[in-house]
Amino acid sequence: MHLQLPRDKGIISALDIVHWYTRHPSNPAPPPLHSANHVSIIGMGNVSLDVARMLLCPPSLLEKYDVPSHVLDALRKSQVKHVSVIGRRGPLEAAFTTKELREMMNLPDVALRPLEESVSNVQARTRQQSRTLELLKKGSRAAFGTTLRTWSLDFYRNPLGVTLPSSDSPSYSLSLEHTTVDPITRRAGPLLDSGVPVTSTLPTSLIVTAMGFHAESSSTAPYAQWYDLNQKHIKTLPGGRVSTTNLDSDEPKIYASGWAATGAKGVLASTMMDAYSVAEAILEDWTNLTPSSDPHSEAVSSSPWDAPPPEIMKSLSSPDSEITTYNDWLAIDAEEVRRASTEGKERERMDWKEAKRFLYDKGLRVAEEDRS
Amino acid sequence: MESQTRQSHVLAFWTPVRNPSGSFILQLVRNNTAANLYKSSLEHTAAAHGNITRPRPGTGIKVNFKDSKGNLIKTVEANEGDDILSIAHEHDIDLEGACEGSVACSTCHVILTAEHYDLLPEPEDDENDMLDMAFGLTDTSRLGCQVKLTKELDGITATLPSATRNMFVDGKKPTHH
Repeated sequence: MHLQLPRDKGIISALDIVHWYTRHPSNPAPPPLHSANHVSIIGMGNVSLDVARMLLCPPSLLEKYDVPSHVLDALRKSQVKHVSVIGRRGPLEAAFTTKELREMMNLPDVALRPLEESVSNVQARTRQQSRTLELLKKGSRAAFGTTLRTWSLDFYRNPLGVTLPSSDSPSYSLSLEHTTVDPITRRAGPLLDSGVPVTSTLPTSLIVTAMGFHAESSSTAPYAQWYDLNQKHIKTLPGGRVSTTNLDSDEPKIYASGWAATGAKGVLASTMMDAYSVAEAILEDWTNLTPSSDPHSEAVSSSPWDAPPPEIMKSLSSPDSEITTYNDWLAIDAEEVRRASTEGKERERMDWKEAKRFLYDKGLRVAEEDRS
Repeated sequence: MESQTRQSHVLAFWTPVRNPSGSFILQLVRNNTAANLYKSSLEHTAAAHGNITRPRPGTGIKVNFKDSKGNLIKTVEANEGDDILSIAHEHDIDLEGACEGSVACSTCHVILTAEHYDLLPEPEDDENDMLDMAFGLTDTSRLGCQVKLTKELDGITATLPSATRNMFVDGKKPTHH
């Protein structure tokens, strides 16, 4: 959630929407689309564009995929006419990638409000930035002004707070600080007009925050001690080394790779490259161990760190075990496809309760009532 | 024993085994056939897309694979229509293809010789979108899964891009230990 925004019926996290349309076990309340005309999404990553696309895409186009039927019903009744995707900085700093942007541009009967000259008039430094800018300037396939549904990329806007709906005003009013980006540091700062910060307000019916992964400071996970809350990832030395560089110590040698080490950014290829480089570091450390350590020891590992996490061990020994095996999943998969086969859909997703019930009925699981 | 998951290349793995009472125990299983299983899973993956058949030696389109330093890994032969990713997998060359050729990642990124690059049709938008995010991108870079071999590409060289060793985070430079 955004630091400056309170929780409210119409102020939700993008994860709640994604979990809603994917039938995630967390089972969040559906977003109030039947009473929302204007949606504001805060954050400019691929999650923001995923949510925008789901809210704007004609439901008839989604029908043949795996969107749950009750979600399609809600989307058909949706009153959403415009989605504003709001970001603190400019097109060069936006985290979304060209592929997702292109899908938005190609949505039938949905148009992007053209960018202002001052916004698109920036100098790209990388190939990715040039292609993104080119696509932004080209605009959506559908011309703005000819469609029922529209969206916009509101660059250089930082939410300061929100006024809740009242009897005088049925919608939220989002206060936005206008920003400017330092070309060297790429940091955003307030835009000033004669020394006065420029601000504006945006009336909106639904606010969705999509600002990246946040771990909680109260986490009791064992790795929490190395987690940097500001950087939003585990602190590592080169090679992904976490706990120690002293190979002779008895401390477990811990490494972090991929998003755990870099934060929630980077595509598969960069994560893969990071994995290769951390694997090299592990092998390097392994070969540099002092002779007293026996690399051919029979024990796979004597470190408690290599054991499965305590939550898993607890769950295994509990009679209410929630483990789903691969065979269980194959049965669920087949059933979801079977349920959708008459409707020409890819699958009809079950929620977690339904899936468990289905497995009990199939005799694949011991019913809760019968567990000792 | 429950069905095996995609663990075939690790030395040992935990596998859940269900008791009659419904609860589970975890067994740590040593994987003595890791190498064989990995190899057969690679073969399975290659067979799963492209159905590569090897041409009679001397009759196929020659493809050279080089590592990031320019050393020749292997020269192989392919048939017309085979793509570089499938060929790499058929011949056990370490080219990752995480999305299995569906243009949803950039892990099969290869660098081609300029003369051969120019003979190929321009990449489509979706390939270019993925190339945007490829590591070590060059002017003659393509996704291996999208390069279909033809006779005029005989002798083509595909070089694997370099990985930065000891990638550092947050802009800090790596120090020597």
